[in-house]
Amino acid sequence: MLPWQRGVHVYDVPFFSLPFLIFLALTLIGLGLSVLRAFGGLGFTGMSDAYAWGIWKTFNVMTLTALGSGGFAIGIAAWIFKWERLHLVMRTALLTSFVFYFAGLLALTVDVGRPWNMWHLLFPSHWNPESSLLEVAVCMPLYAMIFLAYENLPPLWERLYVHASDGIRRAMRSVFPVLKWLYPFFVAGAYVLPAMHQSSLGALLLLSGDKLHPLWQSQMLPLLYVIQAGVAGTACVMVTLMAGCLVWRRRLDLTTLGDLGKLMGYISLLFLALRWGDIIARGQLGAAFTSDGFSVLFHVENLSVLVPTLFMLQPKQRRRPRVLFLSAVTAMLGAMMYRFIPTTIAFVPGELKFYFPSALEVLMSAGYVSLTIVLYTAAVKLFAIVPASLEEWYEAVAWARENFRTIRVDSHGKATRD
Amino acid sequence: MSLNRRDALRVLSQGAAGTATLAACGTAQASAKNRPIAPDRDAVGMLYDATICTGCKACVSACTSANGLVPDTVLSNGLWQMPQDLNAQTKNIIKLARGEDTAETSYVKRQCMHCLEPACVSGCPFGALMKRGTDGVVTWDADRCIGCRYCEVACPFEVPKFEWANFNPRIVKCELCSHRLADGGQPACTEVCPTHAVIFGTRSDLLAEAKARIERSPGRYFEDRVYGEKDGGGTQVLYLSGLPFANLGLPTLGEESVAAYGSKVHSVVYKWLALPLTLYVFLTAIIKRRFDSHEDHAQNKAKQTGLPSQL
Ligand code: SF4
Ligand code: SF4
Ligand code: SF4
Repeated sequence: MLPWQRGVHVYDVPFFSLPFLIFLALTLIGLGLSVLRAFGGLGFTGMSDAYAWGIWKTFNVMTLTALGSGGFAIGIAAWIFKWERLHLVMRTALLTSFVFYFAGLLALTVDVGRPWNMWHLLFPSHWNPESSLLEVAVCMPLYAMIFLAYENLPPLWERLYVHASDGIRRAMRSVFPVLKWLYPFFVAGAYVLPAMHQSSLGALLLLSGDKLHPLWQSQMLPLLYVIQAGVAGTACVMVTLMAGCLVWRRRLDLTTLGDLGKLMGYISLLFLALRWGDIIARGQLGAAFTSDGFSVLFHVENLSVLVPTLFMLQPKQRRRPRVLFLSAVTAMLGAMMYRFIPTTIAFVPGELKFYFPSALEVLMSAGYVSLTIVLYTAAVKLFAIVPASLEEWYEAVAWARENFRTIRVDSHGKATRD
Repeated sequence: MSLNRRDALRVLSQGAAGTATLAACGTAQASAKNRPIAPDRDAVGMLYDATICTGCKACVSACTSANGLVPDTVLSNGLWQMPQDLNAQTKNIIKLARGEDTAETSYVKRQCMHCLEPACVSGCPFGALMKRGTDGVVTWDADRCIGCRYCEVACPFEVPKFEWANFNPRIVKCELCSHRLADGGQPACTEVCPTHAVIFGTRSDLLAEAKARIERSPGRYFEDRVYGEKDGGGTQVLYLSGLPFANLGLPTLGEESVAAYGSKVHSVVYKWLALPLTLYVFLTAIIKRRFDSHEDHAQNKAKQTGLPSQL
């Protein structure tokens, strides 16, 4: 039997650990500054008319929602390509996706200069259908707040149910079949929508035309962006799972993690083939082999995806925890670079202009990142999300039966009536 | 930028909404307003001849007062208007340009080019920036702008500017003095120009005039051509210059507009997103099947082990 059998909540650690409190503080600072920002302009940021998009858009939205594409990529592998074992990590994937999107949407809201005009979003007749930004603005909240949120319901539902009174349980039982029947409809939407907005994020850069370095500017950007989201999302779930095991001293399941590594390797291969094919087809191979900073950047970015891929395609290497972890981290950084570079470093509006985020801007950005960590760690402590062994499950159930007066479950964790 | 694509995009946007909300969407009116108008009829613009301009900057101050802007006096310590570049207080500027190796200089007037296929309009999510159907002037609507600054990222001429420090920030750019045009007048800058270096007219008239000047004085103008006739898909503000256009800070653009380049992919993307509903139905069918067998399996296992099943 594999070490990981089912989602188990992280029960044996204090809720308010020290790192949690630190991240919570950073989050509160970020959110507090965001509230203050609502009363003033954006003058305190490092953004300018030349670099009109700062790290909130380029990092918190562009880059981190790619990391939040685990639910999308792993979900497709699990549900559509019948990769059964991956269902075990779906809860983690869906949760990481939700927290990244949630924080990204928050950053987007803070970044927008005239938020009071956002109501146009509700009226399709006010949309400019040619705008990729419109597509992102419509698709992203819709996906995160409805489809992805729905996919995340089961753990929440389970916890509510085992604590609920008989009356509430009866009500829950009566709606449950409907919710369950609807589930596949939401899952399907949760694959169509990210495909749309993740590609639109790439399409956004097309209008920047010559301002974007030719190693990145390409008609293939939309497609490359979706595929790279798959690499980033899968890698991020691997890193999250392994870091969790490390922090909470849980056993690693090298078979399941190896499967994730394999999936990541496959997607990366596809990405690299298209990336290089595109460079060659556009006749930019020369630009990739000059001595300027851009070609160095290009190779660093590419190798960060290629090297882990080469490891992840070897079954033997996939069984080594250190290799798995380092590969996932490196590929994740490579994928992040591909998202971040074109919007900032390789984005060169004429003449000598420069963007560096201001301290407050960075602090707010860090706040949104901390928010993802806070939400994630809080959720895994409250709900059965992170995969663990059966022993772990039984211990968690016993612990919960001891500590919660309201909970009514048998020793297997199944809801009981009395 | 054909009608076909517009229709296709309309379907796309409706498909997106359909997938999402299954709600009926209205017709995407914004798209109709965003389309470029026929370039040679009704379109109005300006012709700036850098070889005539004396750099008196009368147009700069006229623009400022005609548009109710506060003069930018930062560089001069509050003494006189001295903008460094187009900015949120400056819709029009005269700059000094230099030739490559010679000491040759020229002035250049910069403002919105009123592109035939404007990138800013193409990207603006709710149609705050619009290309007016009547005369092709690109205008900005405060009630539709969300302040996303995509127009700044998109504009190849780096024209739109944002009021960064303002609580109620506006996008500032030349709107060809549309308020004056509405009263039957002409732009403030063309009206005050003492040498007629910048003149107002329909685009076709201006183009003809520019070509006539080139013909009259061979060798006087760089490449014997009009910048903006085709550059970046064509613009309604046209330039004649003795120095290379690049030296004036006018970007070297192909004949395809950035908007066309960007939307071409949109239409490819549309090819596999035009059918989002089809794709959605297809995926639902697959996932429904998988889901049912997955659940059966999970229920059986739950019965065997006594553990609650997890989705
Ligand atoms: S110059 Fe820039 S702001 Fe003016 S119409 Fe063209 S793209 Fe828009
Ligand atoms: S900042 Fe305003 S005008 Fe510019 S693209 Fe965004 S919504 Fe449109
Ligand atoms: S047309 Fe009006 S707004 Fe535009 S540059 Fe001339 S004076 Fe300024």
